[in-house]
Amino acid sequence: MTNHPTTPGAREHTFDAIVIGSGISGGWAAKELCEAGLRTLVLERGRDVKHRDDYPTALKNPWDFSHRNKTPRAVVTANPIAKKCYAFDEATAHFFVKDDEHPYVQDRPFDWIRGYQVGGKSLIWARQTQRWSRFDFEGPARDGFGEWPITYDELAPWYSHVERFAGISGNYDGLETLPDGEFLPAWEMNDVEKHAQGKIMGAFPGRHVIQGRCAHLTAPQPQHLAQNRGQCQARNLCYRGCPFGAYFSSNSATLPAAAATGRLTLRPHSVVESILHDSATGRASGVRVIDAVTKQATEFFARVIFANASCLNTNLLLLNSTSARFPAGLGNDHGLLGRYVAFHNYRGSLSASVEGFEDSYYSGRRPTQLMMPNFRNVRKQETDFQRGYMVFFGASRAGWQQDNYSPGVGAAFKDRITRPGPWGMYMMMQGETVPRKENHVRLSADRKDAWGIPQLVTSIGYDDNDEKLLRDFLARGQEMLEAVGAKKITARDSKQNPGLDIHEMGGVRMGHDPKTSLLNRWNQLHACTNVFVTDGACMTSTGTQNPSLTFMALTARAAQHAVAELKKGNL
Amino acid sequence: MNRREALRQTALAAGAAALWASLPARTWAALAAPADWSADDEALLTLIGDTIIPATATSPGAGSVAIGRFIITQTTDCYLLQSIDTLRHALREIDAASRQRFSHPFPALSVAEREQVLTAYEAAPQQGAHPFRLIKELTLLGYFTSEPGATQALRYDPIPGTYLGSVKLAPTDRSWAL
Repeated sequence: MTNHPTTPGAREHTFDAIVIGSGISGGWAAKELCEAGLRTLVLERGRDVKHRDDYPTALKNPWDFSHRNKTPRAVVTANPIAKKCYAFDEATAHFFVKDDEHPYVQDRPFDWIRGYQVGGKSLIWARQTQRWSRFDFEGPARDGFGEWPITYDELAPWYSHVERFAGISGNYDGLETLPDGEFLPAWEMNDVEKHAQGKIMGAFPGRHVIQGRCAHLTAPQPQHLAQNRGQCQARNLCYRGCPFGAYFSSNSATLPAAAATGRLTLRPHSVVESILHDSATGRASGVRVIDAVTKQATEFFARVIFANASCLNTNLLLLNSTSARFPAGLGNDHGLLGRYVAFHNYRGSLSASVEGFEDSYYSGRRPTQLMMPNFRNVRKQETDFQRGYMVFFGASRAGWQQDNYSPGVGAAFKDRITRPGPWGMYMMMQGETVPRKENHVRLSADRKDAWGIPQLVTSIGYDDNDEKLLRDFLARGQEMLEAVGAKKITARDSKQNPGLDIHEMGGVRMGHDPKTSLLNRWNQLHACTNVFVTDGACMTSTGTQNPSLTFMALTARAAQHAVAELKKGNL
Repeated sequence: MNRREALRQTALAAGAAALWASLPARTWAALAAPADWSADDEALLTLIGDTIIPATATSPGAGSVAIGRFIITQTTDCYLLQSIDTLRHALREIDAASRQRFSHPFPALSVAEREQVLTAYEAAPQQGAHPFRLIKELTLLGYFTSEPGATQALRYDPIPGTYLGSVKLAPTDRSWAL
């Protein structure tokens, strides 16, 4: 190794691999690298969160919360961004960053939702996991806004690899637009959902209504029991952390697997300030870390570095990793680092009531919902907007929460609102956005955070394509609910800011051409090949799927490549 | 699944259930007495809450879960500052309506008279959001998330085990609490 440092104590600070971040992709990098025999240091900027032990609210009853799980005003006022997240409440606030501790600059409005702790946002993710299809990988080139350097067929075995370990429930639907995976049994549909499925698929050939696919153990297999993870209990209190280990998180699954090898060193409270570049070797030699508590700087060294800090933080880290060779940030020879950031368009939703089915109910709380794979512009351009959207929907009966403004007091009122109310349906969109060069992040020239690191400036917004796609979804949603026979159909544009989807992607995009992309087909920086980026930052486009499963598959694939290249002496 | 795996899963579930049982309960009853509110105001709110959700054959009423104190605390801690004024305004209006209609303050009325006062008040047109909504919303929240409300007036199942999509609803079946 040519990059061996000579400073005192350097030996203890030298590892085979460093992984920056312990969230959903960092956990996978740690597991795969450790299991391949590499002594791996995982750096996490937040506190440690131990599986089960550090889920303080996981088994609390509603009456155990002082404010019955509503967020006190003081917390809301102090966290104007985090409070917008649907999963932020009295039971989960400890898994979200405090806004005032982690400022950033909004050039244009962007809600940046963050979870700084061991496990990152893998504790508070929505756990919906669908494979991309070949249409998603081929789309950017067909539509002329980018080029994925890999195909679906290349990633498919890696999807299988991560699905078997994580445990993904789903139905085998046989759809080319949403390929099947290695599934555990699917969740059931309720009676109104089955009714809607029949009506919609009857009226609109090509629009497939299927059960959601999610990272929940509906029937744990030996590999899951070996992880000490048990069956999903249908509590749907997942954002508090699951004491059964029934949904996949870094804390419950990948980090314990990495630790079991004896080769993992996990270091919380470690804010990575920059990746160090060695001009003699042309490689990264290590990282510079600021202790989150003492604010003392330390350096760690390794032959391979995985950046999994979360999409925008990985962008920030690379932009801040300047050197004589890379004055504009690591790997940034063309000013494209931080550009082509995209996200998912969640603005549209519809709700409606459904008459009848009065003697039908359900029991348990299902952690997923129905979905419709994208049916717009799949095989060719058909509309006045580019790309498409996935639809999520479901049906349920009103309870006292929905019924609480209905008039009345006294025993008869109490009797009425304690019984299941009318059925309702909702629909929401998950739209692809086209990465634009002007949608970017950069470093603030003058503002720094508490650790002396430049603050991130976000300049990301919607465009005309997003507006057209939204209008199309609302129109198609309306016609589908009408086909179901639903009444009182209400369409809504939330106008929510980009970022609140928590699906930000890009900025360090993959591609064949080093002139137009940052990463090669193995997620290595074109210009510094021992640095791998496998979190959301690497994404060339967004697809219409929930992205985490693809981050996992890309990470496992890249880790295997890193190990192979090390063995060949190429890294 | 073989027997060993089944036993192991059961052990996982049992461990979690034991942890659940060991947690402190009933923080709702331990709320501090609110500052700036008289005992009479709190008692009046509790009585209004108990009129909205009275005790019935199968479950106690909202008065049994200190609903007045909950409404005040929740409004103070979680709602916009002006909601406190809304709450006080609603109490004054309900008291005035009681005296006007039945010549007595609300607490001196019979249950049937209290229900008439609240029903008329809820139906009375108001400019903007009706103040009664705040009381009613918080009564329902406080009651149905309390232990008696969740477990006796509704059906509470913290660990359902699975999701069944098609369950026949019997005439006596209540909603799920969560």
